[in-house]
Amino acid sequence: MFSKKTAEQIQLETRPSGNGATAFYNNPKYRGWIYQSILFVFIIGFFYSIISNTLDNMSAQGIKSGFSFLKTSAGFDVLMSLIPFETTDSYLRIFMIGILNTILVSIIGIIFSTILGFIFGIAYFSRNWLIKQIAIVYVEIFRNIPVILQVIFWYTVFNALPIARESLNLGDAIFLNVTGLYFPLLVGESGSGVVYGAIIAAIIAVFIVKRWAKKRQELTGEQFPVLWSSLGILVGLPLLALLVTGIPFHFDYPALRGFNFQGGVSVIPEFLSLAIALSVYTGAFIAEAVRAGIQSVPKGQTEAARSIGLKESKIMSLIIVPQSMRVITPMLNSEYQSLVKNTTIATAIGYPELFTIFAGSALNQVGQAIEIMFMTLAIYFAINMVISLVMNHFNKRTELSTR
Amino acid sequence: MSVREFKPLPAQPAPDATTGPIAWVRDNLFSSPFNIAATVIILASLAAVVPGMVDWLFISANWSGTSQDACVKDGACWVFISAWSQQIFYGSYPTEEIWRVNLSLCLLAGVIALSFLLPDRLRNKVAVPAFLLLPFICILLLDGTMLGLTPVTTDLWGGFSLNVLLAAASIIVAFPFGFLWALGRRSEMPFARSVSVTCIEFFRGTPILALFFMGSVMLPLFFPADVTVDKLLRVWIILILFMSAYMAEVFRSGFQAIPSGQYEAADSIGLGYWQKTLLIIFPQVIKVSMPNILATFVMVFKNTVFLLVIAVPEMLQVIMSALSNSNWLGGHAIEGYLFVGFIFWACCFSMSLLATTIEKKLDTGHKN
Repeated sequence: MFSKKTAEQIQLETRPSGNGATAFYNNPKYRGWIYQSILFVFIIGFFYSIISNTLDNMSAQGIKSGFSFLKTSAGFDVLMSLIPFETTDSYLRIFMIGILNTILVSIIGIIFSTILGFIFGIAYFSRNWLIKQIAIVYVEIFRNIPVILQVIFWYTVFNALPIARESLNLGDAIFLNVTGLYFPLLVGESGSGVVYGAIIAAIIAVFIVKRWAKKRQELTGEQFPVLWSSLGILVGLPLLALLVTGIPFHFDYPALRGFNFQGGVSVIPEFLSLAIALSVYTGAFIAEAVRAGIQSVPKGQTEAARSIGLKESKIMSLIIVPQSMRVITPMLNSEYQSLVKNTTIATAIGYPELFTIFAGSALNQVGQAIEIMFMTLAIYFAINMVISLVMNHFNKRTELSTR
Repeated sequence: MSVREFKPLPAQPAPDATTGPIAWVRDNLFSSPFNIAATVIILASLAAVVPGMVDWLFISANWSGTSQDACVKDGACWVFISAWSQQIFYGSYPTEEIWRVNLSLCLLAGVIALSFLLPDRLRNKVAVPAFLLLPFICILLLDGTMLGLTPVTTDLWGGFSLNVLLAAASIIVAFPFGFLWALGRRSEMPFARSVSVTCIEFFRGTPILALFFMGSVMLPLFFPADVTVDKLLRVWIILILFMSAYMAEVFRSGFQAIPSGQYEAADSIGLGYWQKTLLIIFPQVIKVSMPNILATFVMVFKNTVFLLVIAVPEMLQVIMSALSNSNWLGGHAIEGYLFVGFIFWACCFSMSLLATTIEKKLDTGHKN
């Protein structure tokens, strides 16, 4: 009878080096423990020396520790905030303003970089030679120039614009000058609630129509013009509500009063430069991702689709894009995350996002580097975690299911 | 049942011009109404923009001279760049000692050339140690104290040569670290694995600017009070750690591309862990990861510009301080930024071309 041997015993017996190999330090299991203990001791020692040095240095320099500084008044102004702010407000409020400004510029950047990326990524496959060349030139230029240089470049351009009195003017509604971009704000009057309700109802109706059309196609094979009917619902329902309630909206136009424009929405040049640079830079990487994704779909798929008589537009939307999304989505995930990390370059032009005002201005005043850096980094990790979760959820739906 | 008679159609003349320039233009520029419109719009906007740009950049640009007064024509003032060229390339490094920077750059180029030219047998034995020693030799050379040359303190180092040398020195030292972290991440030892994963995820998830910032405000706190760490050294440490995390991920994907048969074959001839890893797996990983290593290098090279935020005199920082110089207050920002942009573009673009070439060359290996 053969006695059952463990894999370990077999390995020990069959080792070419014979007896010496049975020594305990040659046993992979023990050796693993030895290596890990050495690593553990090293790391403990490393952190012990860092922490003790830090505590010594902090007490020598008279730096306090703890989070009590968050409640004290910051005493400096911020260029732009989405929530009301006064210079007497606390560092905690500075922190909140920073987070909101970071999120705002990230969202704008993600939207526009995705649009740019998909336009130029698909333009690469255009039958028009010039369009294809433009897509290549766009990617190769903006991908290969450091993004911080692009931000500073746009900021210089916006600073070279004329003063408010001589603003660039588009139809007396949109103005662009050295202090920023101004455009009209849509203001709702009484009764606007009905219109908002209609918009929400229209969105829900579109989902219902889509589900019903899919079910009908599965049962009968008949196709329902989902795109046109949803467009009709999305435009028609709110339009109807608008007419019934008597258009309860008006535009608040920006107007020149004194030295600058009042009213409407104003966007500071720092925000514009950062948003443009990030969108254009990240858009170039997304265009590459889209191109790689489309190229990853085998040519046979297009040919098969043609052979069953699908229209060219349907081939793109039903066959190529869904399959290429498998390759594109994971790449989009990392591009979005690097966009969020790149918002920190705002500090070169002074746009008040989290890094500039909290890890910059606040840190300079308080000096509590450990706490402030910890809080700042935690926010970047959290934002990236959210992006990752959303994209992974999206990825699950496009993933190839294999057995 | 009637049978239809087969009537051949009359032969048609061959289609005129399916090849040649006219057919190319018809196929690629004017194939559909949409394409015709697009072509016309693009050509019109190019015609509107390009002549003015060419004129500003080259024809009415000012090329010769040494001071701002030489910029008399209304084109670009390239005199600004040429007057500051030494600063832009070498920072404030003393003029009579510049040969040391040049020698360092030549050594870098030499070692790179060596790794391409040497026969396979010698490559690993000569090029690898040469690469690993290079950053330290360059530091000795640039600093000069140990070699008995005139000491040049690190705050005088700067310009484009600093961008290049810093990026190269970081990636070279990050190579072994990244390799170890990648091994750690793949290892079966739970503690080693979690340490590696933490390191990699921390340095990949943190904005590089925040890392530089930590390097300048937090690292000094970590060292004993009587130790002062040079600013450039702190930057270097940060860049190495940052690069290691990215290299670890590059190597990890390289490891995953190696067929498990390679591991099994190495096990079957009785190689130990390090023999297996270094002799069988590592050379294949390097080969597979080469394009990604270059891409990572391009990334860190671009990221060296971020150093201007903590006042390291790299190329863009030099340009920006030149812009605020009282002798040059003519607003030459566009020329300066265009120049920096062009230099970085040229370097990064040629490296990405190289990466594509290598990728194509290696493409035959594993796929067929």
